[in-house]
Amino acid sequence: MKRPELLAPAGNLEKLKIAILYGADAVYIGGQQFGLRSRAGNFTVDAMQEGVRFAHERGKKVYVAANMVTHEGDLEGAGPFFQTLRDLGIDAVIVSDPALIEICMMEAPGLPVHLSTQASATNSETLRFWHEEELERVVLAREVSLDEIKRMKRETDIEIETFIHGAMCIAYSGRCTLSNHMTGRDANRGGCAQSCRWQYELLENGMTYSEETPFSMSAVDLSMVRHLPDLIEAGVDSLKIEGRMKSIHYVATVCNVYRRVIDAYFENPNAFTFDPMWEEEISKVAQRDVSTGFYYGRPSETAQLYGEGRSRAEYVFAARVLSYDEATGMATFEQRNHIACGDEIEIVGPGMRTFRQVIDHMTDASYSPIDVAEKAMMTFHVRVNERVVVNDIVRKRIRH
Amino acid sequence: MMIQLVASPTSVNEAERLLRLGIDRLIVGDDTFGLRMNGDWNVDMVREVTRLAHRHGKEVSVAVNAIVHAPQIEALPDYLATLKEMAVDDVLVGDVGAIRLIRQFGLPYWYDAQTLVTSAKQIQFFAKRGAIGAVAARELTIEELANIQRQIGVPLDVQVYGPTCIHHSRRRLLTNFGRHLEHGERMDRRLFELVEPNDPVRRYPILEDENGTHIFLDHVSTHEQLATLFRLGLHTWRLEGWREERHFLDIVSLFADARRALLNGQFQPERMQAQMRELRESNLSSSEMTLRMERESVETS
Repeated sequence: MKRPELLAPAGNLEKLKIAILYGADAVYIGGQQFGLRSRAGNFTVDAMQEGVRFAHERGKKVYVAANMVTHEGDLEGAGPFFQTLRDLGIDAVIVSDPALIEICMMEAPGLPVHLSTQASATNSETLRFWHEEELERVVLAREVSLDEIKRMKRETDIEIETFIHGAMCIAYSGRCTLSNHMTGRDANRGGCAQSCRWQYELLENGMTYSEETPFSMSAVDLSMVRHLPDLIEAGVDSLKIEGRMKSIHYVATVCNVYRRVIDAYFENPNAFTFDPMWEEEISKVAQRDVSTGFYYGRPSETAQLYGEGRSRAEYVFAARVLSYDEATGMATFEQRNHIACGDEIEIVGPGMRTFRQVIDHMTDASYSPIDVAEKAMMTFHVRVNERVVVNDIVRKRIRH
Repeated sequence: MMIQLVASPTSVNEAERLLRLGIDRLIVGDDTFGLRMNGDWNVDMVREVTRLAHRHGKEVSVAVNAIVHAPQIEALPDYLATLKEMAVDDVLVGDVGAIRLIRQFGLPYWYDAQTLVTSAKQIQFFAKRGAIGAVAARELTIEELANIQRQIGVPLDVQVYGPTCIHHSRRRLLTNFGRHLEHGERMDRRLFELVEPNDPVRRYPILEDENGTHIFLDHVSTHEQLATLFRLGLHTWRLEGWREERHFLDIVSLFADARRALLNGQFQPERMQAQMRELRESNLSSSEMTLRMERESVETS
């Protein structure tokens, strides 16, 4: 059985490095053009170069999402853009627009193309079509079931990538322009206002249909953490995590868990059992309830949110470890959230290395004792009970 | 110079009336392979309407524009063979898997991937692969449409009237909502409307069927811009109308008159506007907003 790629989002260079350190086999990023996340931290050419170097030194890959649905005038500069990516050593571009696909093929030969989920690929004939157009991989629509995937894998030779975790469009991706009509922001050109998550009044024959409960189309998030063997055994080539806008805490935690699950499965597929601790770990960064999407049938009402809002996280991202002094047992932290003496913290590193402690001693950058680290991104020192490593994640338990 | 009028009938009877009013191409289809069709056109009905249209010297396009999942892709070759045998003129299609099969059957096709058809180069990509026309995304401006039409060398279908789909989910969003409310009612194939929080006036029709849930922008009409469309070379005019059946035929008749006037150089936009206003005021009270598909199912049962 083939070991699938674990593919993680990276909104910036720091997240790219964290994703790779925490177990991603590949990351996808946005360039400064042709992407769908106008608000995600998109990469400059220099940042891409650094990201590619970091990834390739570790045998990992970097893909660039260029999945905009272009209008007249948007295509200017596309050829040179793809050539630049190819020359930087980017491993593939993720594209949905046939115009961009053609430009990439003609003007930047040698740069592999993956079909974005925006194109809603749902059947074997579609996979054959794109294979004949010499695409390397198809990212499937989120609307396909596990049975459909098995079938596509059986009937075609092209690589298949599918989402395993993160937020979901409630519509077929690309087939929703609510944002365009309600806010004037083009969903397919990076402006989606997430109108599907608003609350609506539903009318029938001009009368309110339900007085108390507003209508909503908000989807809970996808999580396949309990069902990964199904996707691995179906032959999926790449398992994708959503979320270029998410924090490094999120990226580190989700990559860490999925890396562990995949490795545990391949250590002994027949004896694989799911450890509930993995699910608990991933729930620490959850923003909504989760479901298995379309993999086991059409989602019911339990896969939607009706006014309950987001689930409250038990932990916040408090700091990132910069270094550790073996002699003194002091670690240097970079602050990401209010953190103080007496706080219960959890420190997590790659390979799901984890321990908990209460902070009993903190000093500032010049080693004067402090009770609290309040300033964003400040550097400070904390006595830790176990050895820690640069880029370990420090989270703080919050009491509701 | 030609202007082609295109519309979807709900029945063979209505198709005949549309042809007499001047519709040049009829779009029919079923809910297995097409999206949001007027009525469920089984193959016998498609055969009948094709004969009818051809007798009038007019055309029939069959909508195969669904996002195609496994059971449909399996059934598609038989369906295409039947369409080919009954000599329908062409099909509308957006799924590239379906396009691959359609090309094997040698059926002419219009590229119809709805919201994704936004540039000349996309359409040229499919024109090089056999497309004989394209259905433009309804979000495009007249300037964008004209700019595309100038470049592509195949006709661009632009909407001139009716509701347009702005959201397609595979989920049963209305059924799910009903189940969440636990009131036990069937919610599919019932016309509801959404009101968004920032705009208490506008209504967005929402409807659930086998293919999932569809949200529409209603009352799109370009009757004020017909002269501009004509001048800019946008000559394939689509009229949608799955609601308001009775006055849909009146609307079609107005657009047919407008075409005649434009071709004779005698188009009077003010007159068309007044006629449209009059029709709306007399017909568009909310009690008249009956689903054409509902009416159709009553007629045939």
